[in-house]
Amino acid sequence: MRRPDGPVAAVFFDGRTANRHDVSVTIHWQSPPTLEITGQAKGLPLRWPLGDLRGLSDQSDPDTLVVTRLAPTDDEAPRDPARLIISDPSLRDWIRHSRPNLHRKDVFKGTALKVLGRGAAALVAFGLILFVILPRLADTLAVLIPPEREAALGAATIRQFELFFGDEDGGSLRCDNSKAQAVWDDMATRMAASGGYNGPLTLIVLDHPMVNAFAAPGGHVVFFQGMIDAAETPDELAAVLSHEIGHVAARDPTRLALRSAGTVGILGLIFGDFTGGGAVLILAEQLINASYSREAEAAADVHAFEALTAANIDAAALADLFQRLRKIYGDSDGLIAHFVSHPSLGDRIANARAVGDQLDDPRPVISDADFDIIKATCD
Amino acid sequence: MTDISAGLKGSYSGNANSLFKLYFKTSLLTVLTLGIYRFWAKTRIRKYIWSSASAGGDTFEYTGTGLEKFLGFLVAVVILGVYLGLVQMVLFYFGLNIFAVEPESVEEAIAQMAAFYLTVLAIMPLWYFARYRARRYKLARTRWRGIRFGAEPAAWGYAIRALGFQLLTIVTLGLLLPLQTFKLEKFVTDRSWYGSAKFHQEGKWTELYPAMKHLFVGAAFVVLAAVIAATDSSIQFALLTMAAGYVWALVGFVYYRIKSFEYLTHNKTLGDQMRFRTAPRTGHVIKIAIFGGLAVGVVVAILFGVIGAILAAVAPGLIAGGGSIGPGIVIVAALYILALITINGLTLSWITQRILGHVIRVTGSPEASELAQIEQREADRGADAEGFADALDVGGAF
Repeated sequence: MRRPDGPVAAVFFDGRTANRHDVSVTIHWQSPPTLEITGQAKGLPLRWPLGDLRGLSDQSDPDTLVVTRLAPTDDEAPRDPARLIISDPSLRDWIRHSRPNLHRKDVFKGTALKVLGRGAAALVAFGLILFVILPRLADTLAVLIPPEREAALGAATIRQFELFFGDEDGGSLRCDNSKAQAVWDDMATRMAASGGYNGPLTLIVLDHPMVNAFAAPGGHVVFFQGMIDAAETPDELAAVLSHEIGHVAARDPTRLALRSAGTVGILGLIFGDFTGGGAVLILAEQLINASYSREAEAAADVHAFEALTAANIDAAALADLFQRLRKIYGDSDGLIAHFVSHPSLGDRIANARAVGDQLDDPRPVISDADFDIIKATCD
Repeated sequence: MTDISAGLKGSYSGNANSLFKLYFKTSLLTVLTLGIYRFWAKTRIRKYIWSSASAGGDTFEYTGTGLEKFLGFLVAVVILGVYLGLVQMVLFYFGLNIFAVEPESVEEAIAQMAAFYLTVLAIMPLWYFARYRARRYKLARTRWRGIRFGAEPAAWGYAIRALGFQLLTIVTLGLLLPLQTFKLEKFVTDRSWYGSAKFHQEGKWTELYPAMKHLFVGAAFVVLAAVIAATDSSIQFALLTMAAGYVWALVGFVYYRIKSFEYLTHNKTLGDQMRFRTAPRTGHVIKIAIFGGLAVGVVVAILFGVIGAILAAVAPGLIAGGGSIGPGIVIVAALYILALITINGLTLSWITQRILGHVIRVTGSPEASELAQIEQREADRGADAEGFADALDVGGAF
């Protein structure tokens, strides 16, 4: 790039008045090299060191270059309020190519400390809100919530699942089989009693191949047909059922629903409304709720082991079930486990075996004939 | 418009390509940084748009920084988090909450609605507060000919008035909309500065009623539809009349926005005697919106067609995966986000920017000699740098 030598015409705004000044610009090469602005206006001529020149970024017109000077002012950035508008192609291109610092982002002294300080304060505040205040509040409210409201919350939760699986009208996925329901209810009542739970309990079976069961607020326990198909002995179903009753007894579904209502609200505030923000929000909410619910899952397992032992049923049934599931779907150890709301399967299998070994003469929870009836709940 | 050419004439030089590229690039960075870059993204978009606008050949400059917006947001979001948390707790205490429970009795439905409106009511003052602060911040970071714009701190005063006038407009079924428009614009304008010169809003609120005329016509159609439906006859005719009324009112609202902007601009002064002219055309704005909307619609259809095809190709693999998070879901989510960014970028560069460009090109000032007396004003550190507005999603496209 050729060095510009002669004076070049430019426009200058002095940063003190709203007047437009026609000026000429010359580069001087004595040390330190400077850019000299000469003209009629007050305060001129001015000499700006070439190393201090700063250009405006993200400008719409590529044919003009607006420059200012690095200076310790009271502006939002350390910049001289004066502006020099250069349209002359040779001077403009020469400055663009020969000034590596032209678009440097200068900040005031102490900025790093300020960013760290405010960042840390915000993290602490939100850590407190998300991990201390919200869980405590949810725990308290889960106990205070009136039973009928809790039941309504549970009905709404189940309705959401049904909608998710494409059941628009509600109820079309539910398996209505009075013979099977009687066996289910009997088993549920016994498992609840042996676990020391005497609140409301409603058992629902949904005709869907997903291998899962869950508890919903208001004493609802939902089995998917896929879970029933996966069970090879009635004890395996009794173990899963006891685990879900453990959740119901601890009011986990209600607590979790209250927590995630609050979490989503707070996270929405943090992540804001940028494109793709919804995906980030869902991911973050999963992470936080997974950490909440892992404790709850471990506690529900303990409840299940106690209930099974009290009813003289082999808790190792849970281990058998998990081992078969692990063969099909794999384990969730390591990093993935953070996204998954349950503790590692390996630990749960070992715990169930240890508990099961304590019984001398365990009995199956229901007869084989009854097991055939509930296997056919959705037929 | 001859009078403007003698003084300062507005012009806009931004082009769709550059703005779209900038939007796409910065939005991608925003997603990759889990949202943190959005403050820098917004700042860069503003720098581009401001530098595209000029008056009398001199471009505007946006001097805000992404960093100050980020810092302001950190403070605002903590205050809001605590405040909204407290509001929700108080509502819970009184047995009110906004859960997605289908209400089973009238009392439940009322309680749910009450909780919703109380929450909205608790946010509304903050929303207006944030809106004024955001405007003040944007003015403080806007320069023309090297001189700063600025606004006086009055966010709570604005919030109270805005709430009051909004309420008046609602209870009068929109009849007092001109009062709301005029009084709030006057409140804001009378506290705005360019350098050492102050803006003033003159005029009378009742003179905004002519701008309402198409809204009244739309309302008349809707009333007529109700009468037809009530008296008997053809329900189709009633629905048709109703639809016509809605469309008329929609266009009428755009007309109101433009005509009231024109009236308010003509009655603004800067300093002792500097005045402004503007002449945006409703038809032209609607044309930009319709054709731009159609063009974006075509792109949306193509994009989602492609995504749908990819989804159909990978869907069997997703279900076989037993519900675990497979690479298929990640790919589809990424495509979906890219498509959304494209749509928003096109809307910004094809519709929003073109409407803005039109309004700027027809705006100006016939007499600019007073500019010679205007001097620089002091820098405004801008405290939260519209952090409240960012947290509450106040404000439009940029």
